[in-house]
Amino acid sequence: MRPATLRVGMSTCGLAAGAGAAHRALTREIALRELPLRLEGTGCLGACHREPLVEVLDGAGAVLYGPITEEAVGPLLDHLSGAGAPVPEDRVVSRRGDRSDYPFLGRQQKLTTQLCGVIDPHSLDAYLAHGGYEALRQARRTPPEQVVEAVKASRLRGRGGAGFPTGAKWEISRAQRRRPKYVVCNADEGDPGAFMDRTLIEGDPHRVIEGMLIGAWATGATGAYVYIRAEYPLAVAALQEAIGQARELGVVGRDVFGTGTPFEIVVKEGAGAFVCGEETALMRSIEGHRGMPTMRPPYPSEHGLWGHPTTINNVETFAAVPSIMLEGPGWFAAMGTERCGGTKAFALAGAIERSGLVEVPMGMTLREMVYEIGGGCRGGRAFKAVQLGGPSGGCVPAGLLDTRIDYEDLRATGAIMGSGGMVVADETNCMVDLARFFLAFTQDESCGKCVPCRVGARKMLDLLTAATQGRAAPGDLRRLESLCRTVEAASLCGLGQTAPNPVRTTLRYFPEEYAAHMEERRCPAGVCPMSGGQEAA
Amino acid sequence: MTTITVDGRVVGFAPGATVMEAALAGGIDIPRLCHHPELRPSGGCRLCLVEVEGMPKPVPACGLACRDGMVVATVGDRLWAMRREIIDLFVSEHPLACSTCEADGACDLQRYAAAVGVTESTHPTEVHRSLYQDDNPFFVRDHQYCILCGKCVRVCDEVVGVNAIDFAGRGFESHVATPFDGDLIESACVFCGSCVQVCPTAALRPVTRLRRGREAEFARVRTICGYCGVGCGIEYALAEGQIVYAAGYPGAPVNGEFLCAKGRSGWDFVSSPDRLTRPLVRRDLAYRAGLTTDPWEMPDTSPLGSRKADTEAFLPVSWEVALGLVADRLAAVVTEHGPDAVAGLASARCTNEENYLFQKLMRAGIGTNNVDHCARLCHASTVAGLGAAFGSGAMTNPIREIREADCLLITGSNTAESHPVIGYEVVRAVKRGASLVIIDPRRIPLVDHATLWLQPRPGMDVFVFLAMMHVILRGGWEDPAFIAERTEGFEALAAAVREHPPEVAALASGVPAALIEEAARVYALGARAAGGDERPRGRGRSSILYAMGITQRSNGTDLVRALADLAMLCGHLGKPATGVNPLRGQSNVQGACDVGALPNVLPGYQPVADAEKRAAVAAAWGVSHLPESPGLTVVEMMRAATAGRVRAMYVMGENPMISDPNLTHVEEALRSLDLLVVQDIFPSETALLAHVILPAASSLEKDGTFTNTERRVQLLAPVVPAPGQARPDWEIVGRLAEAVAARLGREGGPRWRFGSTADIMAELGQVTPQYRGIGHERLEGESLVWPCPAPGHPGTPILHTTAFTRGRGLFHPVRAALPAEQPDDEYPLILTTGRILVHYHSGTMTRRSESLAWREPRGFAEVNAADAATAGVLDGKPMIIRSRRGEVRTQARVTDRVPPGVVFLSFHWKEGAANLLTSDESLDPVAKIPELKVSAVRIERPARP
Amino acid sequence: MSFDSSAPADAGPRERPRLRKFAYRGDPLAEPPPPELSEIISRHRGERDGLITVLEEIQRRFGYLGERQLRYVARDLGFPLARIYGVVTFYNWFLLTPPGLHQVKVCRGTACHVNGSALILDRLIAELAIGVDETTPDGRLTLQTVACVGACSLAAVVVVGSDTYGRMSPEEALRTLAALPGGDGDSG
Ligand SMILES: Nc1nc2c(c(=O)[nH]1)N[C@H]1C(S)=C(S)[C@@H](COP(=O)(O)OP(=O)(O)OC[C@H]3O[C@@H](n4cnc5c(=O)[nH]c(N)nc54)[C@H](O)[C@@H]3O)O[C@H]1N2
Ligand SMILES: Nc1nc2c(c(=O)[nH]1)N[C@H]1C(S)=C(S)[C@@H](COP(=O)(O)OP(=O)(O)OC[C@H]3O[C@@H](n4cnc5c(=O)[nH]c(N)nc54)[C@H](O)[C@@H]3O)O[C@H]1N2
Ligand SMILES: Cc1cc2nc3c(=O)[nH]c(=O)nc-3n(C[C@H](O)[C@H](O)[C@H](O)COP(=O)(O)O)c2cc1C
Ligand code: SF4
Ligand code: SF4
Ligand code: SF4
Ligand code: SF4
Ligand code: SF4
Ligand code: FES
Ligand code: FES
Ligand SMILES: [Mo]
Repeated sequence: MRPATLRVGMSTCGLAAGAGAAHRALTREIALRELPLRLEGTGCLGACHREPLVEVLDGAGAVLYGPITEEAVGPLLDHLSGAGAPVPEDRVVSRRGDRSDYPFLGRQQKLTTQLCGVIDPHSLDAYLAHGGYEALRQARRTPPEQVVEAVKASRLRGRGGAGFPTGAKWEISRAQRRRPKYVVCNADEGDPGAFMDRTLIEGDPHRVIEGMLIGAWATGATGAYVYIRAEYPLAVAALQEAIGQARELGVVGRDVFGTGTPFEIVVKEGAGAFVCGEETALMRSIEGHRGMPTMRPPYPSEHGLWGHPTTINNVETFAAVPSIMLEGPGWFAAMGTERCGGTKAFALAGAIERSGLVEVPMGMTLREMVYEIGGGCRGGRAFKAVQLGGPSGGCVPAGLLDTRIDYEDLRATGAIMGSGGMVVADETNCMVDLARFFLAFTQDESCGKCVPCRVGARKMLDLLTAATQGRAAPGDLRRLESLCRTVEAASLCGLGQTAPNPVRTTLRYFPEEYAAHMEERRCPAGVCPMSGGQEAA
Repeated sequence: MTTITVDGRVVGFAPGATVMEAALAGGIDIPRLCHHPELRPSGGCRLCLVEVEGMPKPVPACGLACRDGMVVATVGDRLWAMRREIIDLFVSEHPLACSTCEADGACDLQRYAAAVGVTESTHPTEVHRSLYQDDNPFFVRDHQYCILCGKCVRVCDEVVGVNAIDFAGRGFESHVATPFDGDLIESACVFCGSCVQVCPTAALRPVTRLRRGREAEFARVRTICGYCGVGCGIEYALAEGQIVYAAGYPGAPVNGEFLCAKGRSGWDFVSSPDRLTRPLVRRDLAYRAGLTTDPWEMPDTSPLGSRKADTEAFLPVSWEVALGLVADRLAAVVTEHGPDAVAGLASARCTNEENYLFQKLMRAGIGTNNVDHCARLCHASTVAGLGAAFGSGAMTNPIREIREADCLLITGSNTAESHPVIGYEVVRAVKRGASLVIIDPRRIPLVDHATLWLQPRPGMDVFVFLAMMHVILRGGWEDPAFIAERTEGFEALAAAVREHPPEVAALASGVPAALIEEAARVYALGARAAGGDERPRGRGRSSILYAMGITQRSNGTDLVRALADLAMLCGHLGKPATGVNPLRGQSNVQGACDVGALPNVLPGYQPVADAEKRAAVAAAWGVSHLPESPGLTVVEMMRAATAGRVRAMYVMGENPMISDPNLTHVEEALRSLDLLVVQDIFPSETALLAHVILPAASSLEKDGTFTNTERRVQLLAPVVPAPGQARPDWEIVGRLAEAVAARLGREGGPRWRFGSTADIMAELGQVTPQYRGIGHERLEGESLVWPCPAPGHPGTPILHTTAFTRGRGLFHPVRAALPAEQPDDEYPLILTTGRILVHYHSGTMTRRSESLAWREPRGFAEVNAADAATAGVLDGKPMIIRSRRGEVRTQARVTDRVPPGVVFLSFHWKEGAANLLTSDESLDPVAKIPELKVSAVRIERPARP
Repeated sequence: MSFDSSAPADAGPRERPRLRKFAYRGDPLAEPPPPELSEIISRHRGERDGLITVLEEIQRRFGYLGERQLRYVARDLGFPLARIYGVVTFYNWFLLTPPGLHQVKVCRGTACHVNGSALILDRLIAELAIGVDETTPDGRLTLQTVACVGACSLAAVVVVGSDTYGRMSPEEALRTLAALPGGDGDSG
């Protein structure tokens, strides 16, 4: 047989699907059979619905198999060694290097995730072999002001949700005179149903570090933190390992680039609080406090960690920076829309046929995402809505699927771009229940500092619970709408301000479902228990 | 131009001010529940949302920084609708039963609910925070009313600095909690009640307030705290003439709204059944004077022996009889033994007017300079040391500036316990990024906030100070311009400190040399704490705070001068937030000194030996001459009494039987007197040895002025009537002086009768240059900081701004002296004495306060685990401390607050009185202050437990 | 968790409390901390940002955060105890009581919700007869929820210990739990 390399996706999703067992079986079998096969671990290719994924690379090309669970290992090896029957077609994802034969992968444009599922994330050499840290070297030869200018010209906007222009943020930080300054990478990824940041860090941690180091150079920061959720143990380990390697490389540590100046990156694990993704709460948490947001202004760029200028960006934002440095801001900007450059990664999940991590250029329509990449709803069921941006976001109904992926276009629908969570609901899902679900989440995650969110969200949840249990009282709808307004306008931080979004958009696009619940005490999708129907007077 | 427009009105703003601050200063009220002017904005209540031109959404005024030209609307339909909804949400988890609520009429939530017309929530009401905690006698926590504004949490963190409480839980379940939701008394709480003060609702209430009626029906009186020298303003709420509770009030010049546990809860002594209400004559004297037919002999049981003050030995008499008796006896002593056979102890607990009159009685009425008071045991070394260095022995800078310092050096002051409200200033400075250097042998509470803690062995800190100066000069961190322009004697100092490298100091003091070096650098440069705000350009502002750990030493004057040297070396004087700041102890110790209750100076620190000054004062008083040789100091008086040179003593408001060193000697001395007159509010241990006891009105029962530690003169107001026949001291002293004058045939001499304390102040101002411009009429609603030499003068908060009082500051090459008593094989440990937070001195008042006495009912000593183990002493169990003077039995507390080799015992307790152990031998040669901070002792486990 | 120490129903004036005597209790931390705790604490001495990290390390080591351990942290690292308690009760991840042998976390994220995780949770509650954040009487299982573990494409997800199980149904979840080792409650 031909010698070949086997790459197994070993990120969280792969492992959850059984990649661990598959990998163990492969190791054992290859050794037993003395096959000329090299086994490598890699990150997530994004095709999570086909996990465990095994890619076979030989001189002739690349074939991506999946799912290759433990039982499928034997037949695969039989096939590769020419002994057995061909692997059944439903376990072959793609036979082409560019994967154009698999629309889920073929329709994407991978930029920040370009090496995820391609290289071994544990190997610095693999990253270096793909041009790693070249962008940093280049940036450090450029005056920081020009680095900031380049980021501005690239039209990169923050991928953490709000879409603030990254170059402008860096410029403010750069202008601060107070020392020291910090850079913080927000890897809290609290939005349930999102896993872009996890995938990126597990699959290509050095890219994020490189982006942070460029950000630090541009803003004049001398210390950095990565705030990452503890629910991501693999990502934490990958990051820590990568920081260790970066230290050996001399780009992090006591004396970076031989300049005699220190630069440390500290990994802080979040301890389970969604609100800590909010930048001011995140800083409180890093400082070792309860993650309760503080008022802005002052913004972190001026008054951040311990009162010092602090540049906070999302994982994906930082991951985009090395490419901007290498390929140029114009190239990056050209990829997106007129208002925002580059690509955006989405975590496509829910009632979708092909779920996983998807990276597409700004400006693609939701329809293309759902149908061409995602393959429509699972089991051929009817699409109902797609929820963008998780609990702070909103849903977009079928009628608006031609909306482009762009901050402003999405906002016009009442939803938001958000961080990239994209959960599809089909006809079996109840939209009132979904709204209730999100509210239960935000209510539970409210830090409790400000009354509109602490109590207002609770009251909204009570109303929705009553509705889903058939206990709605007359006037509840009006009360709900009024609470939406107050909670949105009066809450202190983004969590409260956006908490009503799922309610508002479902109210807007699915009024008939609310009417059914509240007036007829009936759940059209048959999801809600409606037990209280009788008791309610 | 820096203004914003609020509701059409243009208001100015200070740099960094928020819209809330600017609006409030401009008289525009913005609804608010979580804002407090002394706390960092939280933004949690959302009631202060305002509309700002150019901003799409309403923004909270409390967190919004003013920008020039900003246009703000605080009213409007949209805002009121939103506020209504917010209040609606608040009351959906609140009883809103105002008519039966104890906060009724004093509640912010009630006020705003009324303003927006909410009487009940439109949502289902769910009062789910139900904690009711009454585990302590200070305040109750009644969380059904809590609206989670967080002010209590913030004040406990940002002002008090103890973090006894914090938020716990999250979201709807959040609540204010003690650790593990346990008892408050098990937390770090110091019962300062600051949280009660700032709570906008009924969630935190003083225990004494329970069931006492409606806020609107209470009368309110503002006066000055009678305990310590901070001089906090307190407002008392009264019902039917009785105090219901005490609180701070906004705008009090020293403390803002904040108080300590003593000021807030320690007022109930006024109505103690033990109060002296009638003049008393000891039965043996009464018998001799023919007031009773029962003969009686004074037993020799010590007043320290019995648990309860026994007044059986005394016969109540009328004021005429008592004063007549005293005047007779005093006149007899003067006639038989000369005026110097009389001695008087004035009182730092009494007003300026009273002390002024007292020393005038001694000098002009009796003719002796034998007048002193507890300042001798306290800051005598400061008065001497700073007097010599600067020309004036007082705090150089205001309390309120402490928060603005870049570096604070605190040594020999347990600020958080002894001057708690100044401690709050220190906490605020640290929270703003100041560095805090503490030089103290004990781990005092502020060490938790310290940047550097130097822990010298007791008595060895002088080596540290000298080495710090050595390091400063070596590092070139001195301020040459200041030294050249403002000081003299630098060369001698420089030569002297050259011999004190930090390595030597480390050997002597036990403080690592590196720490000394770092402390020197930080202090000299005014370096802020790492992680604090931006470093100041150039030299920052450093301020020294010190107290008894420096002064109560056999070389106290030298130590004070060493601190003066240090400050002058670095030029940290005469500027805001710098200086050398002795924290004076008693409520009016500063004033008592100012008005001449000292043996060597007339009012205004005019030396008695200065013939010209003496003549001027004599003229003002209408006497031909005044005694010219300095009188006896406290300890000297006692020695003279034992020796029979002093035959009569008049003690006004002092309790030497507890507070003076070597109580065995003190008792001997007091017992050997022909006449001991004690004027007090309680039958103190000293009073129990007196021939005549005169009942005085306490500071809550009279008017007059106190001068606090920062030289601020403030007016008292009577809050409650004095019990029984108790009279203000100034009235008693005046009457007695009249009677003495009559007996001595000196009628028509000085004026003794005054209609009011204001009258006395008017005379006082004539002979006391620093007070010349201060009269009661100016103090109404205001306070003045002396020197205030003329009626229109604004006062002088910062001393030595352009020149020192004495012209140039004088360096003093301090010698490194060892404490007088060194540990040896027999007495291997060092006893250091001092104070604890909830008790005050001899405890006459605080030990009669229900709440304070509950917190610490009995005496205890702190001992390190190592020493305890060696001596077999157990935590919480009895222990005996023995010195060359005596022994005491007390409870042992094994703790790392003291290092090995050191025992700490507070002197508040008559059972186990610390001063049975201290020495009256080792006095500072200049200030004559005893070394109360260092005695050699040993500890033992008692044979019988 | 209930935070009430007493629960008055009504508003209005109250009696002054009758106090029990306040007595000196001695230093509860007179003994030095156990070596493993000391080691963690000493590694973070002087770190102003160290609190949460220390707590995470202690919980990883001991499985939960005991009151005494937190008192040591407060004393030896100088963080106010009330703040520590505030932090511990703020973050979902911290446990104040020892968990069972296996910590079972049902994902309640959106993707899992849409794929029926509520049914899994309901079923486990019913079968195990315990509530969320509770431990079975035999100390074998502690039931918890988690907001999302980032394996959303494999929804619904259940995490047991450090293993993530994807594509769960109520039945599959029960089977997984039944297959876990240890049944004799040796962890107490
Ligand atoms: N609660 C309370 N407050 C009071 C009083 C009170 O009785 N109770 N009294 C008031 C009065 S009159 C006064 S004078 C002040 C006194 O206020 P403080 O001077 O703060 O009170 P002390 O307890 O005597 O504490 C002196 C400090 O000196 C330290 N010390 C001991 N030996 C040495 C040494 O050798 N060198 C140095 N550098 N430090 C040493 C002790 O550890 C202690 O921290 O308090 C006033 N306030
Ligand atoms: N071992 C040791 N001994 C010390 C100290 C130490 O640190 N260690 N510190 C020393 C220091 S700094 C000081 S200041 C002294 C304090 O020593 P003292 O001044 O003796 O102490 P106090 O207990 O304040 O005594 C004041 C007396 O005045 C009474 N009194 C209160 N108000 C009034 C009033 O309005 N009128 C009248 N007539 N009487 C009133 C009180 O009841 C009390 O009896 O103690 C000193 N003794
Ligand atoms: C409730 C809440 C949760 C958030 N969670 C995250 C998150 O998990 N990750 C993230 O990058 N940003 C999150 N953000 C946004 C951050 O506050 C911040 O805007 C972002 O990290 C900035 O980075 P960017 O400019 O690169 O987007 C959250 C915001 C809010 C209000
Ligand atoms: S909006 Fe919610 S999460 Fe944000 S500060 Fe207010 S209570 Fe906390
Ligand atoms: S706390 Fe205020 S609002 Fe609440 S019941 Fe009492 S007075 Fe009324
Ligand atoms: S107790 Fe009072 S001050 Fe504290 S949060 Fe509650 S309402 Fe505010
Ligand atoms: S009384 Fe003082 S120390 Fe105690 S909780 Fe209130 S503010 Fe904190
Ligand atoms: S600090 Fe001093 S003046 Fe202020 S309340 Fe306390 S004892 Fe009274
Ligand atoms: S006062 Fe501004 S939010 Fe409460
Ligand atoms: S929603 Fe369950 S893993 Fe993300
Ligand atoms: Mo004093």
